[in-house]
Amino acid sequence: MEKKEVQERVKKVVANVLKMDPEEIFEDANFIFDLGADSMQSLELVAAFEEEFDIEMDEDKALSVQTVADAVEFISSYVS
Amino acid sequence: MLYRQLKSQEIDRLTRQGCSAESWETVLVHEHFTPERIYNIRFQGKVNLGMYTEDLNLPDRGSHPAGLWNSTLKDCTIGDNALIINVQNLYRYEVSHHAVVDTVQSLAVTDETRFGNGTEIEVLNEGGGRELVIYDKLSAQIAYMLVHFRHHDTLMKKLQSLIRDYCTGKTCTTGYVGPYAQVRNCQEIQNMEIGEGAEVQGALLLEDGSLAGCREDPVKIGTGVIAKHFIVQSGSHIQDGVLLDKCFVGQGVRLGKQYSAEGSAFFANCEGFHGEAVSVFGGPYTVTHHKSTLMIAGMFSFYNAGSGTNQSNHMYKLGPLHQGILERGAKTGSLSYMLWPCSVGAFSVVTGKHTGNFDAVDFPFSYITAEEGKSQLTPAMNLFTVGTRRDSEKWPARDRRKDPRTFDQIHFDLFNPRSIGKVLNAISILQDLNEKSRKEQEFISYKGLVIKRLLLRTGIKYYKIAVAIYLGDILMKLLDQVKTGKTLRNLLTEISEDTGDGPEKWYDLAGMLVSETSLNACIDAICRDDANSVEALLAILQKTAANYEKDNLKWWAQVIKKTYGKQVSELKRDQLEQILEDWKKNVLKLNNMILKDAEKEFDPTSRIGYGLDGDESIQKKDFESVRGTYDGNKFVKALRSENDGVEKRFQEMIKILS
Repeated sequence: MEKKEVQERVKKVVANVLKMDPEEIFEDANFIFDLGADSMQSLELVAAFEEEFDIEMDEDKALSVQTVADAVEFISSYVS
Repeated sequence: MLYRQLKSQEIDRLTRQGCSAESWETVLVHEHFTPERIYNIRFQGKVNLGMYTEDLNLPDRGSHPAGLWNSTLKDCTIGDNALIINVQNLYRYEVSHHAVVDTVQSLAVTDETRFGNGTEIEVLNEGGGRELVIYDKLSAQIAYMLVHFRHHDTLMKKLQSLIRDYCTGKTCTTGYVGPYAQVRNCQEIQNMEIGEGAEVQGALLLEDGSLAGCREDPVKIGTGVIAKHFIVQSGSHIQDGVLLDKCFVGQGVRLGKQYSAEGSAFFANCEGFHGEAVSVFGGPYTVTHHKSTLMIAGMFSFYNAGSGTNQSNHMYKLGPLHQGILERGAKTGSLSYMLWPCSVGAFSVVTGKHTGNFDAVDFPFSYITAEEGKSQLTPAMNLFTVGTRRDSEKWPARDRRKDPRTFDQIHFDLFNPRSIGKVLNAISILQDLNEKSRKEQEFISYKGLVIKRLLLRTGIKYYKIAVAIYLGDILMKLLDQVKTGKTLRNLLTEISEDTGDGPEKWYDLAGMLVSETSLNACIDAICRDDANSVEALLAILQKTAANYEKDNLKWWAQVIKKTYGKQVSELKRDQLEQILEDWKKNVLKLNNMILKDAEKEFDPTSRIGYGLDGDESIQKKDFESVRGTYDGNKFVKALRSENDGVEKRFQEMIKILS
């Protein structure tokens, strides 16, 4: 899968889970400090990424992901 | 003890020392009695005196000679080397040797009393129906049975009969102050039994109660306490204006700072400050520290109440009759509110205002939050929070009980057949809900809760971490036994016998974890004729509690049998190795998730409010000087060190296996 496609789909998932406009989501946005995700939403994001990309992510590593860009990188490692 | 009558010269001396008597003939004394230390005493009725030769150490008087000063005694026995001073009314009491009653308005038994034993308190259901009879040898487990096994007629009748007989046997018209007890600067103390070594200092009113301490672990009652119809067991301290009415206080409890409680029971190591309890069953380690915190009509254990925690048991229909159950380890966040009836699974956290009734008992280690008026469950989320880990480590270290005889049976394991049994059940429920859900659904409804559909699978994954760790932990316990000379095959064969269809159900009887088989055996033993005293009940429960390790192994074997479709004794080496591999992987995973959670305590958000008027570097320095660093944190270091040891432990186990 192309990285660009991963980026777009990550933003779509983030927008959906955090109830935001995808336009407001920047690559370097931190899920907690910039996008206001709480701990439960962090879990939901991981679950939503898994469903969107049909992957199983490593739980503790997935929780280390802090920014949208990190998420794209992390997910890319699974889908490629 | 043999007493004699006073000699005439002794009466003369006592009279010269300001003493008088209704009748000197009814004042009897120890054969070696001397009157030197008896001043300004009015004797009424039958009074027995010991001998007074030693000096006693008093906290606010220093060394003081034993003896009697400036008091009125009626129908009393005062033991050797006791001190009675400035007591306006001492009536119908036996004061033991080396006890002190100093500056007390009244210490009296007014009528026939049982010293609080036999008082019925309405726990859980404020409207009645689960009355708990309190007495000075009550344990959390007996209380649990009395409150929750009301459907078991034979058991109830037997328990009630034994307890009634015991309480009747306590009936007396003479009060008791035990050896080395000190009662000082108090107002009114009425119909009280004060045990050995007790310290009662500055109480306003104590009425119809027992302070059942012992010399190793005495009871302390402090300033301004008002308590009626109550029992306090050894090692408990009740201080600073506490108000108790119809309450049971178990061993090692701390109540203070104007805490107020009515119709409630607090078992081992509970703490209550500032707040209020009504009709509460406070199992071991129930803790509430804050003002505006009302606990009402609920059952708690290993519990921590956030400030302003509140519940309602009244729907303004048939009265205050609803109840709440919080299984062990549950917590409620600040200003959380629940409308009873509700139930909360073990080690779960409740935050926010819940105005609907929910039943979350199937989901341990979860978060229950209030989202847009609904109670939302995030399953398994509390499994990997730093708080759960810290709590499970601190409880055993905070067992204050020093009495050689402990009443409450307590098992501390975080992962045990009860919690893991619940986890396995939760996995099955989540799988079922997941299968039935549609992708378009955002939420799934379950027993008054909503669960985000996306988190069904997440919950299953996290719960499986706990199961893998439990299975590995037990296998390693067995492998440790191999180090002592036993063979693993023999151990596994031994455990495989009598596994039945299992895994069987386990119960948490207010701190005591027990399999259904052991519980049934316990109930049978209680119902038998030879269980004929409350002491026998305690012995049966102690024996039942001792089954925990053995039953735990059996339950583990039952789970293995269900998982692998064969007895543990038939598992091949690679299967045993896989259990250990899974253990290693999941311990590291869980620890890393906990470490990740702990990291949040040091992130930029946590630094808000630090380094006032300074720049970012001042803020960081201020934060680190107060809170330290993540890497230097004691908990973090311990967890990392545990992680370092996981591989070593794993290799050690693999070596034993081979």
